[in-house]
Amino acid sequence: MSQHRVIVVGGGLAGLAAAARVAEAGLPVDLFSVVPVKRSHSVCAQGGINACNDVARQQGYSEYEHFDETIYGGDFLADQHPVLEMTNTAPRIIDLLDRMGVPFNRTHEGYRDLRLFGGSLFKRTHFAGATTGQQLIYALDEQVRRCESEGKVAKYEFWEFLRPVVREGRCVGIVAQDMRTMQVRAFRADAVVMATGGCGMVFGKSTNSVICTGAAAARCYRDGVWYANPEMIQVHPTAIPGADKLRLMSESARGEGGRVWVPRRPLDERAPRDIPESERFYFLEEKYPAYGNIVPRDIATREIFDICVNQGLGVNGGNQVYLDLTHKDPEVLSRKLGGILEIYEKFVGDDPRSTPMKIFPAVHYSMGGLWTQFTRGSYAPATPLPKHRSASPPPIDARPGQGMLPGAPNNMMTNVPGLYAFGEVNYAYHGANRLGANALLSCIFDGLFCGASVVNFIRNDAPAGNPAADLPPAEFDAGEKRERERMNALLGTVADGRPDEPATNPYAIGKELGDEMTAACTVVRTGPRLEQCLRRLGELGERFARVKLADAAAWSNQSFAYARAIGDMLVLAQAIARGALERRESRGAHYRTDFPDRDDATFMKATVARCDARGVTSVALDPIDASLIQPTARTYGKKDDRKDPGKAAPAAARA
Amino acid sequence: MSAASPPPAPPRGALERHHFLLRRLHSLTGIVPIGVFLVAHLVTNSSLIWGKAGLRGAHPELGWLDGGIAYFAEEVRWINTQVPHLLLVEIVLWVSIAFHAGLGVLYARSGRNNVARYAYGGNRRYAAQRLTGYVAIAFIFYHVATLRWGWTFLVPGGTHWSAEFAGSTLAAAIKGGQAGWTLMGVGVALLYFVGVSATVFHFANGLWTAAITWGLTISTGAQRRWGYACLAMGAALMLAGWSSLAGALMMDPASAARVEAMVGAPAGPGARQADAPTHVAP
Amino acid sequence: MAYAPPPSVPRRGAATPDRGVVFRIRRCDGPGKPSYWQEFEVAVPRNANVISCLQQIAANPVTAGGARTTPVVWDAGCLEEVCGACTMVINGRVRQSCSCLIDECAPREGDVVTLEPMGKFPVVRDLWVDRSRLFHGLARVRAWVPIDGTYDLGSGPREGPATQAERYVLSTCMSCGCCLEACPQFNLEPDEGRWETAFIGAHAISQARLFNEHPTGSQIKGERLDALMGPGGVSDCGNAQNCVKVCPKGIPLTESIAAVGRSVILHAIARFFRG
Ligand SMILES: Cc1cc2nc3c(=O)[nH]c(=O)nc-3n(C[C@H](O)[C@H](O)[C@H](O)COP(=O)(O)OP(=O)(O)OC[C@H]3O[C@@H](n4cnc5c(N)ncnc54)[C@H](O)[C@@H]3O)c2cc1C
Ligand code: SF4
Ligand code: SF4
Ligand code: FES
Repeated sequence: MSQHRVIVVGGGLAGLAAAARVAEAGLPVDLFSVVPVKRSHSVCAQGGINACNDVARQQGYSEYEHFDETIYGGDFLADQHPVLEMTNTAPRIIDLLDRMGVPFNRTHEGYRDLRLFGGSLFKRTHFAGATTGQQLIYALDEQVRRCESEGKVAKYEFWEFLRPVVREGRCVGIVAQDMRTMQVRAFRADAVVMATGGCGMVFGKSTNSVICTGAAAARCYRDGVWYANPEMIQVHPTAIPGADKLRLMSESARGEGGRVWVPRRPLDERAPRDIPESERFYFLEEKYPAYGNIVPRDIATREIFDICVNQGLGVNGGNQVYLDLTHKDPEVLSRKLGGILEIYEKFVGDDPRSTPMKIFPAVHYSMGGLWTQFTRGSYAPATPLPKHRSASPPPIDARPGQGMLPGAPNNMMTNVPGLYAFGEVNYAYHGANRLGANALLSCIFDGLFCGASVVNFIRNDAPAGNPAADLPPAEFDAGEKRERERMNALLGTVADGRPDEPATNPYAIGKELGDEMTAACTVVRTGPRLEQCLRRLGELGERFARVKLADAAAWSNQSFAYARAIGDMLVLAQAIARGALERRESRGAHYRTDFPDRDDATFMKATVARCDARGVTSVALDPIDASLIQPTARTYGKKDDRKDPGKAAPAAARA
Repeated sequence: MSAASPPPAPPRGALERHHFLLRRLHSLTGIVPIGVFLVAHLVTNSSLIWGKAGLRGAHPELGWLDGGIAYFAEEVRWINTQVPHLLLVEIVLWVSIAFHAGLGVLYARSGRNNVARYAYGGNRRYAAQRLTGYVAIAFIFYHVATLRWGWTFLVPGGTHWSAEFAGSTLAAAIKGGQAGWTLMGVGVALLYFVGVSATVFHFANGLWTAAITWGLTISTGAQRRWGYACLAMGAALMLAGWSSLAGALMMDPASAARVEAMVGAPAGPGARQADAPTHVAP
Repeated sequence: MAYAPPPSVPRRGAATPDRGVVFRIRRCDGPGKPSYWQEFEVAVPRNANVISCLQQIAANPVTAGGARTTPVVWDAGCLEEVCGACTMVINGRVRQSCSCLIDECAPREGDVVTLEPMGKFPVVRDLWVDRSRLFHGLARVRAWVPIDGTYDLGSGPREGPATQAERYVLSTCMSCGCCLEACPQFNLEPDEGRWETAFIGAHAISQARLFNEHPTGSQIKGERLDALMGPGGVSDCGNAQNCVKVCPKGIPLTESIAAVGRSVILHAIARFFRG
């Protein structure tokens, strides 16, 4: 019998963890990535990774409370069983990373140090300086390099995923292209794992890397894979405005004591240190006495947006507020936050240890993603429980298998059998808003926990008797051919015109797409504006059909790759805007001024976007698994709701 | 596509098979015996300048410089008569130098200088180390061949160095003749100046890098401190080298020969004195 | 409600907004093709970095002379100096183009910014080079902790904050290759067959030290040192110390080289006596 193979597309945390787990189980892995895996976007993650730990546990925290926080933070949109399994597994993931040599910060006694992060009152975030994502991905990269040198993993770096190959409803491979030689080639596999990360580039400027186009997900979507909660886009409250990128200022800056404020007097021209304490408006601390500066991201973002845009209190009247660390010991800051403070210093020129930083929200993360399934674990309370209270005994312990059934073949499988989605590219864990430092966790959890599912699918399911290697070539050849035609069509546009016309310049289209999406689909949304956005996207789509390239080279043609991705991003943008339009409520990151309340009766459901063969998006609401915790109002103990810009207000009034 | 490590290629020549050993021997020979000899050699030769003090009151009739000549003559004589198996020692030294030089050239050729782009101190020293290595090879070869192996055809004036008349014949060989400066002599003197300076730099800097190579100085601070130590050592050695040279250049070969004869070997000053000026320019 | 794009934070001593800066770029259409220079004039906004100017050139590839050309190709990822992708030679010195602000590399009116691909790696196209050899170096020194597997086997070894701090710095190496580009002992080697014996460079030596210092990592210390004793190993370093000067992450590479130098000696002695 021919040997089974697995393809992993994407070498971020999710992809690397999956490759290591699958290779370890004895299945050879082909790992594809547009960049060398070590340069994947996961390197950008700064703040840390969440897990219950012994210190927090002795203060009354538990894996269950982590679960409860995550569901509450996600505004009750996430399927609950997978989240439970993830938070229960988290401490074991930290242990594993520790064994791999991740240099987590240490206490004097040599234990892993912890920091506070958004959405929790317990220190449960493990960190390695302010470059946690970098350290985690390096550890996994090293393990995969080891697999590679043992011949268990073959890397295809600088190869771009173009489409899944689907035969009789089952995913049996992919078509990919070497971005150096431009060779288009089909690869066979008995299971394909998509771990291609987020889609920040759809919004033009974001905190994401330039490779985070979402094009890979869009290509799956276009080929029939469902896409859930596309409208759930996280806008991070604190980023450094910049010409090419909005660089993140991690939540850990607030976790370590950073305070957000503006001068009480509008257009106060004084230097920040000359403004006395009494004339500073610490608006988050005043409005949310319990959580203060570490309220979840969607709330902090809306508050900052409200202060600047609605109240005109932004620093110097602009769209910026202070994030102040100057009251902290500079030496401690350097040790714990060195990496991010250097970024600020490098790109802005001020030292945040002595001058408050100026920050503003920026698009950061996609909670939505490819639709995935799971098999419930053993935990099944008779009725959903009320919100968990700290220090009350958790209803269950953290044994594996209570949230999701380990090794069940459909864990994180999309609607196409054999095609999986791990990491940021799926929609499984974060509901309507992701808590800080939960993403790294979900990526690694997917790779490890659901990697086992991939193995079982191959061993026990469709591929078992019918390996992809033995299938007839028809679908593979057809996929290759279609992609070659698509390439040639685009490259052919060079000859027939001057490409400097903005209407047909791919970069101009990309920029307009980003501006439009940022304006219509971020912090605040309204029905009419979203409808306008959809019309604009239609226009951009028409313009894209006439796009003209400036380079016909059949070698390392970057602008071609960019243009092709724009076409796919347009498809994804449609799903995002359509999802936002259909969700006529406000929940988590999705805030509609025309529907400011959360509407559980109608919308405590996933919006599932489907793309038909003609490329038309339709959106349906699918029920979610809310069998473990009852929804409650998500107020984070908000005090003053008169000036409330967010939808939390009416809920708070009711509570 | 894939960066999987292919099975390590079978080692090729002896150079590759014994790579590590050769590298370390290269470093080691630079210190022992070459470096040790260099220090002894320069300290001895610089006695041309400070030797009067070394005489500890003997020969009160000699002036400062003549005292140096006398002391130096005694030192050299001592070495030539008291060191056992001198030739063997010398051969070991020559072989070491040849080994160090040969490998050095090979290693130096594996690098590509980029001081023009990266003009850091360390990089300049790296480049200088290689340049001074080449200079030192040329100089030492000339030095040994002319003064030790008697290749007098390379000496302007044709002086044959003699251990009995160490100072005066050295002076004559450098200045270009028994009678004093000649034009060619100026050239040789310059060569000595450059050669001695290069050799000393090469040694001092080599000592600094050796401590890194052998893992003796690990922290940046230790490397810096050892750097200062090497700088001081180099400066002292440079001073010794320059004073040796100055001593030789300042001396008048003929009168120096008289001093040497005075403190000379038991064989009798007369016989030697007759010997001394044998190799005047034809 | 409209969302106005945020204005850039003003930078101290910034140049006037939108001034014209000339970029001189060394281009190459592919391996084996000749390289050539092209100049572009870019309207540079305040606070711009080299990448944002390259983005402008890509969107409108017209030379300073007004000739239409192909967009310049380059490599980039994070845009915040943490992925290492965008490394190139700017004004003669190797560094990351994303963290290179124009006000810094062309502070005065009329200054020209010169961009070249790294010279120690084969050019793919224009400013994009193939750095596979760098990753090969990591495999060569087995830069990993040889754990038993990815299943749950309890926590890792305990470690004091001082050791953590030391390892953390070494562990921030982003494989950018600056240390290799500036090293006079590290040369272009397109022939993959020679990578095993050509000089490995400071980054991998430093990674070997990182893993030798980890309790589990040290289990295969001998293999790492064997690799570093051979041709192209640590003794090929000429101590020019450019590497430590150009490393954007401030990794103490020369300390690593010395530390590995020591380990290698001790290893050699032990091997001599043990056989
Ligand atoms: C600035 C920043 C800071 C963050 N900080 C934190 C934090 O502190 N804590 C936390 O928990 N989360 C954080 N996050 C979120 C977290 O970093 C990401 O969600 C996570 O890294 C995503 O990992 P991934 O493996 O899913 O994808 P990625 O790391 O994005 O990797 C995607 C992979 O897919 C490949 N790929 C993409 N498209 C294609 C294609 N078409 N063909 C082939 N390959 C392709 C890429 O090359 C890459 O290897 C942060 C995010 C940002 C932007
Ligand atoms: S110290 Fe060694 S590795 Fe560093 S630049 Fe010099 S020769 Fe290269
Ligand atoms: S050691 Fe420094 S310069 Fe070298 S690759 Fe790593 S980060 Fe880059
Ligand atoms: S783009 Fe990542 S380092 Fe510059």
